[in-house]
Amino acid sequence: MATNNGGDKGTRNLVIVMVGFIVATGVIFSVISNRAASNVEIPAAVSATDGYGIVLNPSASPKIDVYLDYQCPACKSFELINGGYLNEITVQKKAKVVYHPMTFIGRESILAANAAACSADENRFVDMNLALFQSQPAGKDTGQWQNESLIAIGNSVGITSESFKQCVNDGKYLNWTRNISEESGKANVNSTPTILVDGKPLDGATRSDPVKFRAALEAAGVK
Amino acid sequence: MQDKFRLAQPWLTLLARLILGGVLIAAGALKVGNLQQSAMAVRAYELLPIWMANLFGYALPWIEIGIGLLLVLGALVRINGLLGALIMLAFIIAIAQAWARGLSIDCGCFGDGGEIDPEDTKYLSTIIRDLGLLGLGVFLYFFPKGRFALDK
Repeated sequence: MATNNGGDKGTRNLVIVMVGFIVATGVIFSVISNRAASNVEIPAAVSATDGYGIVLNPSASPKIDVYLDYQCPACKSFELINGGYLNEITVQKKAKVVYHPMTFIGRESILAANAAACSADENRFVDMNLALFQSQPAGKDTGQWQNESLIAIGNSVGITSESFKQCVNDGKYLNWTRNISEESGKANVNSTPTILVDGKPLDGATRSDPVKFRAALEAAGVK
Repeated sequence: MQDKFRLAQPWLTLLARLILGGVLIAAGALKVGNLQQSAMAVRAYELLPIWMANLFGYALPWIEIGIGLLLVLGALVRINGLLGALIMLAFIIAIAQAWARGLSIDCGCFGDGGEIDPEDTKYLSTIIRDLGLLGLGVFLYFFPKGRFALDK
């Protein structure tokens, strides 16, 4: 230390201050930008008391929560294995089904979740949900899911209205995905898909076996 | 023998700084672009209350980058070596408790993280790697003076 000259010491201290500044700014920015707001646009079918999820058949029971990410391959498998049955009982109003499109995988998860929320406003969420998984790109944030292609996916299941197109292009529900993230965190959901039946998670074996899945839902009161 | 060590020590310190610092920068940089997943990875350890786990998940990548940068540049090496060692110790404890409790999670060390299939866990190799990095941090605490450093 004794042989130090002033210039070197100045550089060193400047570096320390700059790195400290970067860390502090980064932490503050990260906390603020991931915080949910209570005044965001939310789809009509969304209920704050159900973790800001998209609620189908609000007055039916049992309650089935589906936590997913549209870019998650295991969620695609779940939809392809059990989506048919789940959609059938949804249409027949035999259960309250709440979808929580999480967005931890990447940017295109957010765009897809926005498009799914837009489809909910057209009362076509179930079809859009399936169509998104069917067109899931291989790999994350590949560039294949942009607003234009998401609108095309909507069109493919018959959602052709101008309001849907505008909703996707405006990114109307982009900020709502933060509320989903925060509430999913509070529910301690740490992987997708997570399926809760009346609040209790299904294990992996039940999720990936259509017979067991059906049995679990019937045991919970789906007739 | 002692002379040899005295000769080699500044270079060993440099090497330790570059390895520990480089690993920390890489770990932070891979997480910083996806902080939701980082928060989820911390939650999956089921060690902290959820609000604290989320805060930690957002802050940790930046702290790793900060410590890593200072180590590579050679500023405040003694303190940052100690901090690096303490972080590694915390990781080892977190992973060990997850292992002991039978959780099946990805460590989330370099992005990813969260619950995974039980057969995909690799707790032992992660702990061994972090022990090595912990050792480098301890070495830097005792021998902070090395080549090409801003510290004089």
